[in-house]
Amino acid sequence: METIVQEVVPIEELKKFEKVYQEQLQRAEPSVKAQFDYSWCLVRSPYKRDLHQGIALLEDLYHKTTDDNLKRDYLFYLSVGNTRLKDYNKALKYAKALLTIEPGNHQAQELVAYIDKKMKKEGLVGMAIVGGAAALAIGGIVSLGVALARK
Amino acid sequence: MATGPYNYSYIFKYIIIGDMGVGKSCLLHQFTEKKFMADCPHTIGVEFGTRIIEVAGQKIKLQIWDTAGQERFRAVTRSYYRGAAGALMVYDITRRSTYNHLSSWLTDARNLTNPNTVIFLIGNKSDLEAQRDVTYEEAKQFAEENGLMFLECSAKTGENVEDAFLDTAKKIFQNIQDGSLDLNAAESGVQHKPTSPRNALNTDQAQNKEGCGC
Repeated sequence: METIVQEVVPIEELKKFEKVYQEQLQRAEPSVKAQFDYSWCLVRSPYKRDLHQGIALLEDLYHKTTDDNLKRDYLFYLSVGNTRLKDYNKALKYAKALLTIEPGNHQAQELVAYIDKKMKKEGLVGMAIVGGAAALAIGGIVSLGVALARK
Repeated sequence: MATGPYNYSYIFKYIIIGDMGVGKSCLLHQFTEKKFMADCPHTIGVEFGTRIIEVAGQKIKLQIWDTAGQERFRAVTRSYYRGAAGALMVYDITRRSTYNHLSSWLTDARNLTNPNTVIFLIGNKSDLEAQRDVTYEEAKQFAEENGLMFLECSAKTGENVEDAFLDTAKKIFQNIQDGSLDLNAAESGVQHKPTSPRNALNTDQAQNKEGCGC
């Protein structure tokens, strides 16, 4: 799953599908196809701004359809996009929503496992940083107290 | 721990293409996990798998991109064809329509890969003989007319699955050996990983161990 989540879109591909989408946007509402192709490229971009835009376009597609087959695709890439942004809670929510539509979907199962792993790994690092900061803060208060007592 | 930075000498990129429901993901799964995946849902976008194989004494890592067969993914999945050294083009022997669409898949494969890309035609679901809708002979003829390698396989029983992936690698390796595939060319689909000194050392040690007979 690492390869799928971390894969980067070739820039000329992103530009190609962006052009189609923008041209349609100039004239009227873009087709579902143009919007999906473009957003699938955006969520594989190395740039945060593109990831956010891809997620917004996929959310829009998701709300406009009642077709579970299409919802499944959107949820998968919503989860991938949010994983890349390290918004793991959201990513997990989308991957699990996909599993309620298709409980046996192994791509979604692997994605959930991957996000869990990332959360554990980066969560521990995060806690260590927060813990370190708390220790520094307590140290500061104590030394402040000592300084005041000396006065 | 006997592996250096690389425990293989080459990386070959493969793609798997063909209509939806022909069993592309099941073939990949059978090849990488040696298991049959029953009730496999339609692939979302692309899947990825790897396996290290050995051809002529060389370890080769296959990086396999399995593309979704559904039409709505086709525009974007085309970008995965680039730089493929091998393309496995799959149809279902029990569904004639999947065979009839091969020329369209072949056109894409030819246009989007390089002239040296090895294209291997796979007739999947050979275990369902009673429901056969495409004869072996006509598919064989189609393959010959188009210069493709060909096998009928079963992702369910595993029959010929190894051969399809391995024969493709052997052909690519042969193309490297006879110089028709230039490794330095962009998008050859092959990366050469020179054996590092550390790796060479480990190999020597391994050989020594074997040699001591203990």
